[in-house]
Amino acid sequence: MSDDRPRVDITAVHDEVTRRELLRRAAAGAVVLVYGGFGAKSAVAGAPKFRGKELKGTLRILQWSHFVPAYDGWFDNVYTKRWGQANDTDVIVDHVNQADLPGRVAAEAAAGKGHDIVALLAPAPQYEDRVIDHKEIVQEVRRKRGKMIDVCYRSSYNPKTKKYHGFPDSYAPDPINYRTDLWAQIHSKPTSWDRVLKAAPKLRAMGHPIGIGMSNEIDSNMALMALMMCFGSFIQNRSARVTLNTKATREALKFGRELFRKGMSNEIFAWTAASNNQAFLAGRLSLALNAISIPRSAELSNPDLAKTIGLLPIPKGPHGRLGLEHVMHTYMIWKFASNKKTAVKFLAELELKYRGAFEASKFYNFASFPRSVQNVPVRLARDPHTPKGKYKILNTISDKYTKNVGYPGFTNAAVGELFDKFLIPQMFAEVAQGKRSPDDAARDYQRRINAIFRKWRKLGKI
Amino acid sequence: MITLREKLTSYAVLGPFAIVLAFPFYWMLWTSFKSDIDLYNVNDVPFGFGKGSPTTRNYGFLFHHTEYLTWVRNTVLVGVVVVVITLALALPAGYALARLAGRWGQSLGVGIFLTYLVPPTLLFLPMSWVIAHIGLQDRLLSLILVFPSFTVPFATWLLMGFFKTIPAELEDAALVDGASRLQTLLRVVFPISVPGILTAVIFSFSLVLNDFVYALAFITTSHSKTISTGVFTELIRGDVFFWQGLMAATLIPTIPLALLYNVFLNRFIAGFTGGAFR
Amino acid sequence: MVAVAEARPRGRGRELIEGRAFLASVLIGPAVVFILALVGGPLVLSIYLSLTNATGGALGGHWVGLHNFTDAWSDPNFRRSLRNTLLFTIVSQAIVLVCAGLIAHALTRPVRGRWILRLLILLPWAAPVPLSTIGWLWIYDSLFSVVNWTLVHDLFPGHHAFYLYKVVNWLPLPFGDIQPFNPPQWLGNSTLALAAVISVHAWRLIPFAVVIFLAGLASIPAEVEDAAKIDGARGFRKFLHVTLPLQLPIATVALLFGIVFTATDLTVVYILTGGGPFNSTQMLTTWAYTTGIRSGSLGEGAAISLYLLPLLVVVAVLMLRFARRVEVS
Repeated sequence: MSDDRPRVDITAVHDEVTRRELLRRAAAGAVVLVYGGFGAKSAVAGAPKFRGKELKGTLRILQWSHFVPAYDGWFDNVYTKRWGQANDTDVIVDHVNQADLPGRVAAEAAAGKGHDIVALLAPAPQYEDRVIDHKEIVQEVRRKRGKMIDVCYRSSYNPKTKKYHGFPDSYAPDPINYRTDLWAQIHSKPTSWDRVLKAAPKLRAMGHPIGIGMSNEIDSNMALMALMMCFGSFIQNRSARVTLNTKATREALKFGRELFRKGMSNEIFAWTAASNNQAFLAGRLSLALNAISIPRSAELSNPDLAKTIGLLPIPKGPHGRLGLEHVMHTYMIWKFASNKKTAVKFLAELELKYRGAFEASKFYNFASFPRSVQNVPVRLARDPHTPKGKYKILNTISDKYTKNVGYPGFTNAAVGELFDKFLIPQMFAEVAQGKRSPDDAARDYQRRINAIFRKWRKLGKI
Repeated sequence: MITLREKLTSYAVLGPFAIVLAFPFYWMLWTSFKSDIDLYNVNDVPFGFGKGSPTTRNYGFLFHHTEYLTWVRNTVLVGVVVVVITLALALPAGYALARLAGRWGQSLGVGIFLTYLVPPTLLFLPMSWVIAHIGLQDRLLSLILVFPSFTVPFATWLLMGFFKTIPAELEDAALVDGASRLQTLLRVVFPISVPGILTAVIFSFSLVLNDFVYALAFITTSHSKTISTGVFTELIRGDVFFWQGLMAATLIPTIPLALLYNVFLNRFIAGFTGGAFR
Repeated sequence: MVAVAEARPRGRGRELIEGRAFLASVLIGPAVVFILALVGGPLVLSIYLSLTNATGGALGGHWVGLHNFTDAWSDPNFRRSLRNTLLFTIVSQAIVLVCAGLIAHALTRPVRGRWILRLLILLPWAAPVPLSTIGWLWIYDSLFSVVNWTLVHDLFPGHHAFYLYKVVNWLPLPFGDIQPFNPPQWLGNSTLALAAVISVHAWRLIPFAVVIFLAGLASIPAEVEDAAKIDGARGFRKFLHVTLPLQLPIATVALLFGIVFTATDLTVVYILTGGGPFNSTQMLTTWAYTTGIRSGSLGEGAAISLYLLPLLVVVAVLMLRFARRVEVS
């Protein structure tokens, strides 16, 4: 852990503070975080408790521990406190590690009690019947900020039941992270999958394999589904029919096997969500598909390495350049929430002025309504870390190359289930390890995934 | 006295096992003092310290930037109360099952055990409903109420086993001397069963410590969390694991607890040097 | 001993309290009521859920009969989970019994340093499993594994002939040759990952069994020991005719709980492998969690988790019968 990890003082300051003092502190904290927040020593001066003034309402929110600790500091202690003051509401934010959130959310759904708003890192259409229709929020924001970006729309709307089962405030683009120095040595650049395959043996011979995971974890899921799309292989079509058993899928599987044999090592089968970050930080990998947590971690703990990390859109395949989001941060308001009105208002206003969140998350959270943050390219260019301007590409990626899981259809409960069961990484790993032929795999997984779709279709959700 | 050969066999057995069983903790200790840059350097010798190491920063982070001590306190509090409840329910039940109840009791005993086989994977959903509707969500009391559901069957069975190993003749002698059954229980049976009772205490406490699902399902308020859920929330952020902090957080409760368990074991073994330990 | 108790004249009230049946129910009652209240309701609900098409945390749905059970069965990943659950349980418990038996026996001898050795052996049981599994995750890490570092580096620096991996490569191993660049992936090869999960289960349960065995040995009264001595029983004969029979009931309890702890555990696999590689280490518990909780097919998840119940009941009843027979003889 490095010196410059942004410090967030969690212990609350228990002294009485006047309202003015409070606002001054909050503003100062926000300024420090937003403008000095890039790895500089930033500190929020503790969350002042409002002993002096009883707030009328309460709003309880549950979300993940953001990978940028400073984001939680900003959200919990600055943004929500200020919003609470203005709306006479005590906003309480609880956190749970992202891998464990689904468990707690299921428990709340079963109990019919808990937080007013819960957030998951992926759409959760399986809770459709338990949450309000989030249309209200979408309409309110659309009125002022124009359209929601398509990837978020397709991740939160169910065309069958005509309901928004969640409200994604943000998503994270999923760029290619590659080592510019190593790729320069072989005079190449990972702009197409073909080039990646050609460069892979040379890079591996240099001791720097490619790192596209085929394991039971979220990064593998995202990377492999994106790879499939670049080859023209889609899990479902627009009307939610499974379309896996195609030539394109077999081609993608063959490519995955080739890439593994020529340019990767066995490690990709053993990965956790953290492994590609760590292997990159260790200087081993020459390429990985991940959100910007790789360069951001490197900037904190290994600045020399950070200088050699470049970002690019997903490589081009025979079917073009189609990537996925890395995280779809989806808020849901329970039907049983005690304070639905306030919850709706909170989410709408959070989205309307998203700049603070965008910057506090160090460009991790991209607003679901692009016009909620003005001048994104300028802000991205302003990042002080070398190589300067490397984050600019995120704007292009989010504009053009970010699709939803289950594209060209909607992210529905069946897609969610095959995602949670890691069937796509399983399919790729079995082919790469030679346990199945690509033909056999495409056929068999078509059948397995069809069974999942049948189940949800019977329930009337797709 | 034991022969040299017996001694050597003992060491030959215990030495390797002790090394294998304790190695992960040695490894955690080492890791917990490493800096990020050293930890993520494949060329550094893992048994040595590289750039920026050793550092106590990981411990500092745990104590100053998270509510770690609160989580430890919560866990200990829940553990102690649950152990007391468990003993109060399981001691009499275990004894009765071992000595008093006939065939009917045997079946009941099996019944109690079978509740243990109910898969906990989904049980936490209905439990959450119960907890929410009696207003215990986000309160430690919820854990205190639910944990005995798995410590009591366990302790009952364990104690039943121990009571069965006590020869009935000892009790009969006391009964013949005119003591009532309850007196016999308190004066003869329980003192003899101290090993069993201490074992039940150790194990019930460990079961509490090992829980993750219930603590996750019932509690999200940071200052009411227990060790495992609290540490996971603060030290696993998205796809970044703070390994050194995680290791430190594991060691801190483990070592004192193992010491305590060992003292317990010492005590009950000391009481029986006239027995098998010769 | 009933005859002894009844032979003494007593008042009516006293008699009632001393009555076996009455006293038994008073003593057992509270525990039973408590457990039934907490587990009974939820268990019935779980069974009900498994027969419905409940989704997304809703504790109810439409009746679908045994559909969830047949649907689950038709999934190859489910059948693998079932097989893994049995495999993990049987193998890890076999390891635990043998190792714990050896350790407990060795620990009864008053050797120097016994205290510290016992402390080291106890450590795994004192650590919270979710956290200690994280420790193992780091030990088996794909890149920073200390096991692999030890395997591929020189034993004595400077003497290149002592590279351990060269030696290890002579052994017939399930994962082929060890190469420094591509060392064995403990969590990435299906055979190794099974071994990794079993090792963690065995590791955490050995101290548990050791303590139970120790306590069992300790509660053998001195009288019995003395009697055995007078009869001239020593060494292995003593173990077979005196120690073992007295130990069996408690050993059975240790084994039963070991089985239950392993078969119903969710944490180890969930944290260590996440079911990977390619869902080859899923257990029923993790598969039920993935299906019922994460994906929201609650009914099917309940069905999956209930598959284990009849099996465990049969095992438990058989073992308990056995334990009782041992006691009687």
